[in-house]
Amino acid sequence: MADQYIKEAKFEKARIEVERAMKLDPTNPYIVAFQDRIKHFEELNKVSTVPPASDKQPSPEPPPKPVEQPKHVSASQPAPPPAQAKTPTSPPPTPAPQKTEAAPKPPPPPPKETPPPPKAPEPPPVVTAPPPPPVQVPPPVQKAPAAHDEDKGVVESKLEEMKRQLEELTKALDLEKRAREEIEKRHLQGAVKQLRMAMEKAWVNGAPNEKESDVLRQMAISLSIPEEVLQSLQREVKLDMYSRAVKEVISKRKLLRSSSSTLEWLRKVYQVSVSEYLENESKFLLDLVSDQYRGTVLFVSSSQGGKDLIPRLKSNGYAVVHALSPEIALEKIEKINPNVIVCETQFPDGSLSGVKFLHLLRTNSKFNFLPFVMIAVDGDEKKQFESSELRLNEGCVHQPVDFDELSSMINQKLAAFRDYISSLA
Amino acid sequence: MSKVILLAEDDEDNRDLVSFVLQRSRLDLELVMAENGKEAIDLAIQKSPSLILMDMQMPVMDGWTAVPILKSNELTKEIPIIAFTAQAKPEDKIRTFQIGCVEHYTKPMDPEELLQLIQKYINP
Repeated sequence: MADQYIKEAKFEKARIEVERAMKLDPTNPYIVAFQDRIKHFEELNKVSTVPPASDKQPSPEPPPKPVEQPKHVSASQPAPPPAQAKTPTSPPPTPAPQKTEAAPKPPPPPPKETPPPPKAPEPPPVVTAPPPPPVQVPPPVQKAPAAHDEDKGVVESKLEEMKRQLEELTKALDLEKRAREEIEKRHLQGAVKQLRMAMEKAWVNGAPNEKESDVLRQMAISLSIPEEVLQSLQREVKLDMYSRAVKEVISKRKLLRSSSSTLEWLRKVYQVSVSEYLENESKFLLDLVSDQYRGTVLFVSSSQGGKDLIPRLKSNGYAVVHALSPEIALEKIEKINPNVIVCETQFPDGSLSGVKFLHLLRTNSKFNFLPFVMIAVDGDEKKQFESSELRLNEGCVHQPVDFDELSSMINQKLAAFRDYISSLA
Repeated sequence: MSKVILLAEDDEDNRDLVSFVLQRSRLDLELVMAENGKEAIDLAIQKSPSLILMDMQMPVMDGWTAVPILKSNELTKEIPIIAFTAQAKPEDKIRTFQIGCVEHYTKPMDPEELLQLIQKYINP
């Protein structure tokens, strides 16, 4: 029974029990042993009770200490173990309590009840360090700020990233907007062009009938062309087509009984009002005479193929002066003051070649810039012309001559010359 | 179905001009063209036109020869023929009526007048 009391740290009761046993049997050999034992455990108890007394809180924490208790299994008291547990690391018992907070962590690895152990592995080395508390306590505290700073950094970088993305997005949107506007502009231009083509087709033989007009209106709607643009375009096309028709019919004026009545008839066909006609009369007249006289061509040719081109040039509005050779051309050039010279490369023996004629012209300040078109006839002169630097600036068509090509070349040279003269002014 | 008009005319410009006027007439007409009287007879038989505009002066076969042939052919005798000519003498006019033409139209041409004449025979 005394043994039981000792285990329960009820030393007084244990002592009473021992005294009672001594009264009953003073010779009992165990009495002294029990007394020693009581004394021993009482002292032990005194030593161990100090910590537990000052630190009642840790009592719940003792659980971890039991780990070290195994050695004291016999001392079923929870208190002593912690004291013993700390003795190895920290001598003073007082700091123990503090360490008990920290200490529990180093041991955690073994205990299973402390879930936070994952971070415990770090503490162990710290435990050996003198200022464990600051190191140990901080973990939770330090980790928060670190995480906070880290989070802050992450957030800031994310914000920066988002800002950058926004800027890029804005730029992209801006570009897209501009592209869209350009597309719309082009689309509108394309749409207007498309509608204009359809209108020209519908108006080519005069005002379109109701059905055709409806088709055009529907087309304008489907192409998103505003009504006012449609009207303006229609007026433009109408006047243009009327002007073209006038030009065409007037070119055959010799076949007409009266040009004025024909023009009057056309005005009705194209529904051009008198006021519209008067408003645009000068334009119509200009259109009429625009290709009546295009200029004077000095045509230097000795071949039959070249001569055959003369009537066509005349019917295209050019006054044509024919010279059979460059020598004759040089005689005529001063008198007629041509707007353009068309010359073949080869002439019968004894005459200058076209290339030499051209060289002569270009060395003369009066004819330095006079538009020149060479009709390249197969032969050495053609090769000489085509391989010379003259080819870069002078016009050239090949034999047999495609009249449209020749006409286009002459127009091109005349336009270039006109631009050159304008630039001088 | 559009009505067919046959134009027999050797001058290209004149053909173009008649074509130009008819295109702008907004009349539902198909124009077929021949360059001489012989071609005109072939086309008249082949196309059965509603009206023939016949130039009287043409190479190969002129209108003075072609019109009597057309008028003697069962397939073409009912087709009205307008003499389309520069000959404006009264005796020429009388002669054209004698060979079977319904009208004598003197060139140069007046578009509006020509169209009125055509309409007169196309939509009697």
